Amino acid sequence: MNDVQVTAPDTAPITGVSADDALWYKDAVIYQVNVKSFFDSNDDGIGDFKGLTSKLEYIRDLGVNTIWLMPFYPSPLKDDGYDIADYQNVHPQFGTLDDFRTMLREAHRLGLKVVTELIINHTSDQHPWFQAARHALPGSPERDFYVWSDTDQKYVGTRIIFTDTETSNWTWDPVAKQYYWHRFFSHQPDLNFDNPQVMKAVLQIMRFWLDMGVDGFRLDAIPYLVEREGTNNENLRETHAVIKELRAAIDASYENRFLLAEANQWPVDVREYFGEGDECHMAYHFPLMPRIYMAIAQEDRYPIIEIMQQTPDIPENCQWAIFLRNHDELTLEMVTSKERDYMYTTYAADLQARINLGIRRRLAPLMENDLDRIKLMNSLLLSMPGSPILYYGDEIGMGDNFFIGDRNGVRTPMQWSPDRNAGFSRADPQRLYLPPIMDAVYGYQSTNVEAQSRDPSSLLSWTKRMLAVRKTSQAFGRGARRFLKPGNRKILAYLREVGEDTILCVANLSRSAQPVELNLASFKGRVPVEMLGRTAFPPIGELPYLLTISAYGFYWFRLATDAAGPAWHEQIVSVEERPVLVLFDGWSSLFRERVVPWRIGIAEKTRTQFEIDTLPRYIESQRWYAAKGKTIERARITESVLWQEGKLSWLLALVELDGSEERASYFMPLALAWEERDEERVRNLSTSAVAKVRQQAEVGVMGDAFADELFCRAVVAAMAARREITMSQGRLQFRPTAAFSEIAGADFASLPVERPRGSSSNTVVNMPERLMLKGYRRLRVGMNPELEMGLYLTEVVHYANCARLAGVLEYIANDGQTRLLAMLQAYVPNQGDGWTYSLEYVRRHLEQYRTTPASDALPVNAHEAYLTMMRVLAGRTAELHRALARPTADAAFLPQPIGGADIDAYRQRALDEARKALDLLAASLESIPAADRERANAVLAQRDQITARIEACAKVEPQGLKIRIHGDYHLGQVLVTRNDFVIIDFEGEPGHSLEQRRAKQSPLRDVAGMMRSFAYVQQSALRSVAHNETEAARLAPLARAWELEVRTAFLSAYDAAARESGAGQSGAGQPVLYESLQPGQGLLGMFELEKALYELRYELGNRPSWVGIPLQGILDWGS
Amino acid sequence: MQSIDVLVDAAREFLHQTAAFLPRLLLALVVVVGGWLLAKAVRFAVERALRAVNFNVLTERAGTDHFLRQAGSRGDTTTLFGVVAFWLVILAALIIAFNGLGLTYITDLLLRVVLFTPKLLIAMLIVVFGSYCARFVGNAVQAYCVDAQIPDADMLGRIVRYVIMTFVVMIALSQVEVGGDIVQRTFLIILAGIMLALALAFGLGGKNWAAAMLQRWWPQRNRDEEL
Repeated sequence: MNDVQVTAPDTAPITGVSADDALWYKDAVIYQVNVKSFFDSNDDGIGDFKGLTSKLEYIRDLGVNTIWLMPFYPSPLKDDGYDIADYQNVHPQFGTLDDFRTMLREAHRLGLKVVTELIINHTSDQHPWFQAARHALPGSPERDFYVWSDTDQKYVGTRIIFTDTETSNWTWDPVAKQYYWHRFFSHQPDLNFDNPQVMKAVLQIMRFWLDMGVDGFRLDAIPYLVEREGTNNENLRETHAVIKELRAAIDASYENRFLLAEANQWPVDVREYFGEGDECHMAYHFPLMPRIYMAIAQEDRYPIIEIMQQTPDIPENCQWAIFLRNHDELTLEMVTSKERDYMYTTYAADLQARINLGIRRRLAPLMENDLDRIKLMNSLLLSMPGSPILYYGDEIGMGDNFFIGDRNGVRTPMQWSPDRNAGFSRADPQRLYLPPIMDAVYGYQSTNVEAQSRDPSSLLSWTKRMLAVRKTSQAFGRGARRFLKPGNRKILAYLREVGEDTILCVANLSRSAQPVELNLASFKGRVPVEMLGRTAFPPIGELPYLLTISAYGFYWFRLATDAAGPAWHEQIVSVEERPVLVLFDGWSSLFRERVVPWRIGIAEKTRTQFEIDTLPRYIESQRWYAAKGKTIERARITESVLWQEGKLSWLLALVELDGSEERASYFMPLALAWEERDEERVRNLSTSAVAKVRQQAEVGVMGDAFADELFCRAVVAAMAARREITMSQGRLQFRPTAAFSEIAGADFASLPVERPRGSSSNTVVNMPERLMLKGYRRLRVGMNPELEMGLYLTEVVHYANCARLAGVLEYIANDGQTRLLAMLQAYVPNQGDGWTYSLEYVRRHLEQYRTTPASDALPVNAHEAYLTMMRVLAGRTAELHRALARPTADAAFLPQPIGGADIDAYRQRALDEARKALDLLAASLESIPAADRERANAVLAQRDQITARIEACAKVEPQGLKIRIHGDYHLGQVLVTRNDFVIIDFEGEPGHSLEQRRAKQSPLRDVAGMMRSFAYVQQSALRSVAHNETEAARLAPLARAWELEVRTAFLSAYDAAARESGAGQSGAGQPVLYESLQPGQGLLGMFELEKALYELRYELGNRPSWVGIPLQGILDWGS
Repeated sequence: MQSIDVLVDAAREFLHQTAAFLPRLLLALVVVVGGWLLAKAVRFAVERALRAVNFNVLTERAGTDHFLRQAGSRGDTTTLFGVVAFWLVILAALIIAFNGLGLTYITDLLLRVVLFTPKLLIAMLIVVFGSYCARFVGNAVQAYCVDAQIPDADMLGRIVRYVIMTFVVMIALSQVEVGGDIVQRTFLIILAGIMLALALAFGLGGKNWAAAMLQRWWPQRNRDEEL
């Protein structure tokens, strides 16, 4: 399966089952089907192979990859087909051998493996071998096909399995005049493996089915093959020899086939059936199943942990098979008698529900149809070590009918629809092999596939989702298991680990919400990504990881090393983890020229330590550090001043970094607080601590001054007061805009200050509902476009839908060069940015249609509410462009007509971008994910077409205006605020120089940016919702339809709004903003393509796993 | 004729002496100008050297800069050291010049001034280091008292600082030999006065405490018995 990328929090590749993998069974999810019960194609009341074939797509869509078929051979059907009368044929009521072949071929076509039953312990007494044996002479090879005795006192130490129906393992045969041996029913005589002819016959049967294409066998009743006097006749050495021979025969002639041992034994005994990896590939883990039920009944994890601790390690190439329910009773052989009583009381209060040593009920009734408990049970099944087996019907929560007799109550017809006979058969109801479940709760009228397929929140939809999620990690199938032991015993928590892939499973076994603290210190720094919703949780830190889980709730987390924590989460490094800086004279300790003569040496040493160890480590951990991952050798303070306000002082430093990609200059204001004097400031600064400081007996914290409320207030006050602070090579200038008083109010000195939030290039501090202080970190020389645009939009054109500018802090060097250090803007109350708003919208939309049938049509105007918002956004965008297109005396903003030279320049820029991006793509082919390589090759193959398209787009009449534009316009740059949008962040494209960002451009560049943003939303949402390729293929048309609709809505609304004032397309004497808004054509088309190429280059350099999005964009553009 | 000769001789002698004096005067002027230039260079060098070793930080911390600014000086203590060095060189140049001119009285006078200058420099250094030390100890006492939760920590710190400063000033004055006995006597009188004031204050205000202490160390019964 191909990799499927997900949104930001999670970029794990899907590693599903590879069809050619010899260990495929380790990742298998097996669906147990009784042909008789699944679907009746010929209306005779009994399911058949043709019926099963017609329902294979349902099984495939469920998400399983293997089918286990219960016996379908000719048989008198006294034991539901486990009494075989002919091993090499199909029971006529299920169809013909050809029907089986067709089913097998179709299953393989759909990627499903098929496992059949190999019942070699016994045959039916109707089998020709037995008939021949009873008539053959004693001692003859024919007679010796079975185990005979003149007395029923042989092997007296052997237990009787079916105690309800059998009194002895021997039955008298009046024809043979001897007793024959049978471990099960008396009509099932055991084969005699001491006779070489039997082994030969069995191998022949095996080859018959393997040659046909069957992928594996379930070896029924395997511990009982051989008998020896004086033993209990179970798990004998000779039995293992037989299995080894079977395995050797398979390995010699066939690839990727497997044997599954049914040995209802304790794990230590079952371990023997794996041999040294030379017996069975898989074996059932029988005791686990009742322990899971027990754990939930007792609301205690102990039963599960205890049995798993008793489970021995198995060879690398072997696997456990685990299940919750199957066609037999829920066997309680593997629990103590007291536990059995407890289980009976809890799950089978009605004595009718009990049979042999077990309970004949399905999963849903056992859980009293409590969806939460059913889901919890399934989550445990799917995450415990082993390959899970799902029993048909349990995926929709089918009920049972234990009044039918034997175990037939759990073998009733599959409930497909609310139609007659549950949609299983169109036969007369009385002809059905068993009546379907018809009660009010579990009856087929309410519980059926059809209803649940259309319900995104049904158990069926949930099961599909769980299976899809399970496929995203091999850790479930192949990972080592490690239990965590949190204090709360109602919580079962364990890790599944394979390589770097670690899954944390946490389950609440109790009926009430529970908290739990997990010791995950060894995974410190990893981000738990909840696998169902792909939601990133806060990263794991030093402290125990606290979770709260609802009643019978569970979590599956991928402990990701490559995912970012939630955007709202601020990683607080404990101040204890910060280095200690010993000061002897406050701030002066860092400056040799500010200490008394005999301390110059220590000051130099302290400064070196600060610049080499302390500050670089802090800066490297910040989000605003541009060269992430690059080690800083030295953070050199090149310019600084001690800013004193009353008793407080801050060190305002400009720092130059050595060792990172380029010599970059950063603004680093620092605050110092001492524990004894300034407890509250210490607490605030601890969240952004640069170092723990000590001075004689005092301890304190040196931290980022933006975390110091007093500093932030002092900055605002200094802006209001137009303060200037002289430094050695320049000066700091605080100044307000004309709107300062209006925005900040008179009481700005008493505004509360929130904790700072780091972003990609700056630090933002909110003074709620009033002000937002944005501290720039990486400094650039020259006029910052955000400041310039902010001033123009606020003070000149009074554009309302942007964050208004209130004040500025700049550093003006003695040579006149300016650097923007901080900006004070009006706070914009908002509901998040447009990107999150749109992404969540599309995710919800796709999620809703994830499991619904493809035939279900979307309602008309399904996106109308969302599109209305996008039209508002388009209107605001047009208004911005209109405002920026106004005539002005300011040369930096004066609109100019686009000329032929401009078009040439645009064309050249796009061609340059194409060349650079495609060259880089060709050079990076190896490093991009395999799933995207095909698209990459397709793009590379279109190199000439791309150039031609750019040339074609550039053949336009030079028309329209070039104006100042946003420059980096996308959904992340607009804030949703009360059904409206506010445009923020006018910094321009970070990859361009300040001059390039300040250049006048066609406004269509902004429009093209927004178009590309819609494409990103579409692809990101698709990747995040679809767990596998099938889902992605199903949902892709929906996602593309959304994108098309939103593009159309945006462009038409933008056009209408731009035209309103005559600034749109050409009219009589009106200024013209653009020539054409035709998608994919003209300047808009060229800009969009150029943007996609730029994104390609960016993703190749920064996030190769995202490269598929721009690649798809380039390919789509062509179409 | 004789009178003319006398006059001529006198004039000749005058001219002769003048001719003999002028080179010396010129030399003296050269020495003075050279000395002035050298003095400027020395002042610059002294100031730079002192600032290079953060002497200015020391004087600032000692409070002498503040003292000078309050006294109307535009420079700091380091500048003052430069000025003293400047005048030392100027005076040395003047001595050489006057000596060359044979003005021994002036030379002697200047020599006495020059010999006084090192004492002045040392006295200044004593004041600077002493002030720093006074502040340091004063701050240490204050910090200790704050930690030990002794009331009036500020006042105690200040008292210690001023006491040390008094001694420092006394030492500096004695270094420059100013005041002599008068200053010492005055100091002793003031010190005795302070001690008396303290004794009275303690005797009147703390007699109960003193009685309690006496009782504790030397119980009444024992004393009565002794009596």
